[in-house]
Amino acid sequence: MSLFSFTLIFAMAALSVCVVMIGIRFAMGPTLPDRITCFDLFVANIIGIVAIYTELTGNQDFIDVAIILSLFGFLGSISFAYYLMKSSR
Amino acid sequence: MLDNINFLLIREIVSSVLIIMGVIFMLISSIGLLRFPDFYIRMSAITKGATLGLGLILTGMGIYFNEPDMLLKVLLIIGFTFLTSPVAAHVIGRTAVRNKIPFWGPTDLEEFKDYLRKEHSNHRDHERDNKHL
Amino acid sequence: MKTFIVHFLIAFFGSYVYFKYGDPLVPYNAIWAVLVASFIMFLLWLTSPFYHRAYFHKLPQAISLFVYFLKELVVANFRVAYDILTPNYRMNPAVVAVPLTVSTDMEITLLATIITLTPGSLMIDVSADRKYIYMHTLYVKDNDMEAAKQEVKDGFERRILKLTR
Repeated sequence: MSLFSFTLIFAMAALSVCVVMIGIRFAMGPTLPDRITCFDLFVANIIGIVAIYTELTGNQDFIDVAIILSLFGFLGSISFAYYLMKSSR
Repeated sequence: MLDNINFLLIREIVSSVLIIMGVIFMLISSIGLLRFPDFYIRMSAITKGATLGLGLILTGMGIYFNEPDMLLKVLLIIGFTFLTSPVAAHVIGRTAVRNKIPFWGPTDLEEFKDYLRKEHSNHRDHERDNKHL
Repeated sequence: MKTFIVHFLIAFFGSYVYFKYGDPLVPYNAIWAVLVASFIMFLLWLTSPFYHRAYFHKLPQAISLFVYFLKELVVANFRVAYDILTPNYRMNPAVVAVPLTVSTDMEITLLATIITLTPGSLMIDVSADRKYIYMHTLYVKDNDMEAAKQEVKDGFERRILKLTR
């Protein structure tokens, strides 16, 4: 195993630790907007993991997953916030 | 002279340095998400760190794959992320103000009182209107 | 603005088509791609005085705004990172009402987007008469609200005003 792929695997492990920490905040976050923020950050982390996995395997088809994910993450958090705004009134 | 340089090695080094920097930014933002005391501080400090980290990771990946298609897709994702991240932050922040999420104790709210009072009285008006209906 | 978007698209796809289907003189990598795109941009900028005189002066200001924004982004990120990693909080958050000089929709949108993208400051709302924006900021030195307002007005708003008027 070369040093380069070791670096990439290390980066993926660090991002997984990030996902675990975000999950802790998601479970204990006192209010609903906290959880929407967690969801936003979660999607960003998953895009990073997909990008590093693409580089590790060298298969270029996976990057399309990241494009679709960035689109749907934005839509998801916006629609969640909109629902919250409407339901509180 | 150009033939002696190992371009693959240079690309690997540049790409891994960018990726490690991006991962460090991501890690710092997740620690901050756990540590900070208040929703608004978390919101304003954290989401942008993650955006910058994601941009660095994707740039590193685009440099490693030596192709025009890949660079086009990577620039598409980066541009979209930088365009939509402030919009989402703004919408979530305003939703939080409308839902009366409390501010942290030391926050200075002197100039914001009028807005808060108007917003919350609006809220009550709406409730009355709904009852009337 | 319209001219800038048209020029940018022409440069972007020109560089893409040149490296994908053309017969490039230089080996492909990311640096050469960006250089060729900026070279096409530069050629188009040289022809611009014939049909859009103001654009000739505005492109350097737009570039200086972009560079200043990148610098602010990195500096503010490091400030927040320092605050996260050390045990005591140094921050002193406040919500300030910044009086606006900019008036049109596009200028306000640009200012709000830039403020929100900078870590440590979050824009909450525009007041109903569009005279103030309410900004949640983390670092107010010695409870001096005027200094925090002046920082935004001198930094970003002055450059945006120069760009759009």
